[in-house]
Amino acid sequence: MTSDQTPNPRRAKDQYRWSAAGFIAPGVLLVAVLLYLPLLWTTFLSLTEYNGLGDPEWVGFANYVEMLDDPEFIGSVLNTLLWVAGTLLVPVGIGLGVALLTWNLKGGTWLRLPFLIPYALSGIGVGVIWSFILSGDGALDQALAAFGIADTPRWLVDAPLNTVVMILATAWQGVGVNALLFTIGLQSIPKEPLEAARVDGANGLRLFTSILWPMLRPLTAVVVGLSIVASLKTFDIVQGMTKGGPGRASETLALTMYKETFVNSEYGLGSAIAVFLTVVTLAASILYLRQQLSSKHGV
Amino acid sequence: MRSRTIPLIAAAAAASLLLASCGGGNEDDGATTGTLDFYTNKAAWEPDFDELNAQSEGDVDISLNTTGYSDAAQYDAFIKQSFRTDKSPGLFTWQTGPSLAELVDEGLVAETTDIWTKAVDEGWIGDDLKDAYTFDGKQYCVPMNVAYWVMYYNKHVFEEQGIAEPTTWAELDAAATRLSGAGITPYYQTSTLFTFPWFQQLVAGTDPELYNGLATGEVKYTDPRIVAIMETWRDQQEAGWFSDAGATVDPAVGLKQGDFAMINFGSFFNGSLDGAGMVSGEDYDMFVIPAVNPDLDKTPVAVESGPLCVAENSSQKTLGLEYSEWWMSPDAQTAWSAARGDVAFNPKATVADPMLEELGTTVAGDEYERYDRYYEATPTPILTVALEQFGAFIANPGDPLPFLETIQAEADDYWADQG
Repeated sequence: MTSDQTPNPRRAKDQYRWSAAGFIAPGVLLVAVLLYLPLLWTTFLSLTEYNGLGDPEWVGFANYVEMLDDPEFIGSVLNTLLWVAGTLLVPVGIGLGVALLTWNLKGGTWLRLPFLIPYALSGIGVGVIWSFILSGDGALDQALAAFGIADTPRWLVDAPLNTVVMILATAWQGVGVNALLFTIGLQSIPKEPLEAARVDGANGLRLFTSILWPMLRPLTAVVVGLSIVASLKTFDIVQGMTKGGPGRASETLALTMYKETFVNSEYGLGSAIAVFLTVVTLAASILYLRQQLSSKHGV
Repeated sequence: MRSRTIPLIAAAAAASLLLASCGGGNEDDGATTGTLDFYTNKAAWEPDFDELNAQSEGDVDISLNTTGYSDAAQYDAFIKQSFRTDKSPGLFTWQTGPSLAELVDEGLVAETTDIWTKAVDEGWIGDDLKDAYTFDGKQYCVPMNVAYWVMYYNKHVFEEQGIAEPTTWAELDAAATRLSGAGITPYYQTSTLFTFPWFQQLVAGTDPELYNGLATGEVKYTDPRIVAIMETWRDQQEAGWFSDAGATVDPAVGLKQGDFAMINFGSFFNGSLDGAGMVSGEDYDMFVIPAVNPDLDKTPVAVESGPLCVAENSSQKTLGLEYSEWWMSPDAQTAWSAARGDVAFNPKATVADPMLEELGTTVAGDEYERYDRYYEATPTPILTVALEQFGAFIANPGDPLPFLETIQAEADDYWADQG
C-alpha cells in the first residue's frame, strides 16, 4: 500500500498505544480477576460473619479481635516462627554446606543429585512417606527396636518435637534445591579474586568468610527470602503428617486458616487469618529483601 | 487495520471468558430418566454406588454418575459453593444435624415430604429416623444409610482368653482387665478425627439426658459429671487399655492382626473387615455396648444416618427426587445392603450379612434407645474443637479440665451467637 500523504507521527503513536493496551488487556484482566479481586473479596469477607451459605453479615473487626484473642492462634503463630527459623537453619544451612563441599569437586554433580531427587515430590507425598517412618508403629521405631531401643519419643505426638521432625522432613526435600542454587552462585563467582585470595594464603574458613560468603550475598538473599516465604505458608507437609494435631499442637498459620474456613465454615475468621498471613509474608519479604538488596551492598 | 483488530479480539475474548465464569441461575429440566450426577464425600464407596446402577437402570431407568471426594472439608466447601452456580448437584450426600439444618434454613435442598409419607405408609421406614430429616414439619433429603455404633471384636483373641461377649459394663471392664493382663491392648483409638466414640459411649451410657444436654447447650462440658466421666476415661488410658494414639495402622488390619482386641465403630465397618480378609461371624463379631449405668431402663445405641439430598435449584431436581424415592424401596435397599455390606433402614429389605440383619432387629427392639451420634448431634464449630481436644487428651491423658474448658469456651461462643 502506498500513500502520498506524509505520515502523522501522533496518529501512529496513538495507534501504537491502543495496540499495546489491547495486547496488555487480557493479561491485566486475568491478573485483576484471579489475583486482585480475590484479595479484595477475602479482605471484605474478613470483616464479615459468613458460613459459606446465604449472604455475609458485616461485623467490622470482630474476626481480628477473636483471632488475636485465641490462644490457639498464638500457638499457631509460634509454630510458624519455629518453621521460619528451622527451615533457615536446616535446609538452607545444609544446602549451603553441600554446595561448598561439592562445587569444586570432580563429579560434584553426582554427589548433589541424590539430594535433589526428593524435590520432585509433592509436600503431601513427603508427608505420607515420613508419617510411615515416624508414626507410633512406624519404620523408625521398628528399626530402633531391632537395636534394643524400645523407649522412643512419640515423634508426631509430642509438641514441639512433632514440628521439629516435620522441619527435618522438609529439609530432606529442600536441601537439594538449595544446594543447587548455592552451587550456581559459587560457580558464578569470578575466578580472579578467588585466585588472588588463595595466592595470599586464604584457605578453608578464611576463604569462605572473606571471599565466598560476601560474594554469595545476592544469591543468599534470594534463597533466604524464598525460604522465609515458603515457611510462612507451610501447609502441605503438616496436613500430610499430623493435620495440625494432636489437638492443635502442630498447627501453622496456613493450616489454621484452612481449618477455620473449610472445616469450621467460619469464612470470615479464616479470611482474617489469610489477610494476617498475607500482610506478615509481604512485610517480611519486603523488609528482608530491601535490607539485603539495597544499593549500598552493590546490587 | 489488522494491528488493531487482533488486540481487540484478544480483549473481547478475555472479557467473554470472564462473563461466562460469572453465569448463574438454573431451571429444573424435568427429566425423570437418564444419568444423574451424584456427589459424595465417601469416595471409597464409589464402586458400591456404581454396582447399584444395574438395579436402578432396570427399576427406574436412572443411573448414577458418581464423583467421590475423600476430603470431607474440601467436599463441604465444594457443595456449598455449587449452590451459587448452575451446577448444583442433582444428588449429593451430606450430614444430618446442624449441617443439614443450615441448608434447609437457606432453602437450598428440595423437600421430600411426599417421598417420606409414601415410604412410611408402605412400611419402608420407621418413624424414629424421620426426626433427623424433619424441619418445621416438612422432610428434606432421604437416609442414604444407617449405622449403629457397636463394639467389634476379634473372635480368636476372645476365644484364646476365654472371654464371652460382655452383657454388662462390669463384664466389659473385666474383659479389658483380663486382656490387658495378658499383654493384649483391649481397645483401638486414634488421635485424629474419630476421637469422639469413647466419650460418646461413656456419656450416653451414663446418662442419655446428660448427652443430649451437651448437644443442646443445656449442659456444660465443664459439668462435674462430665469431668468425672473424663477421669474414668483417663484412668482407662493410664491402665493401658487403648492402642497407641500415634499409630497409623488401618483399624481393620489392626483388629485382624490382634494389635487390639476390640474396636468401637459404626456397623458399616463390616465392609472394611471383610475387605481386610476377615470372615463375618468366624474371625470377627460384634456386640451392642452395655450401658455404663446398669440402672438405665434401655441400653443407649448411637445411630448415624447420612442423608442423600437434592439441591433445590438443580437442573436435575426431578431426576434426583425420582432416584431418592426409588432409594427408599426394598429393592434398592436390598441391593445396597449387598453392595456395601451394611444394615438397611428398610425393614422389608433383605440384608445380605446375617450378623447385620440380627443387629438391625436387635437394636429396633424396646430394650434399646437410639440416639444421634456425637458427630451429627454436635454443632460444627463445637465439634471441631471437641475432636481436636479429645485428640490432644488421647495423646496426653491428664487433668481433663483444661481440655473441657477449651471445648466449653467454643460452646459458649456458639450458643451466644444463636441468641
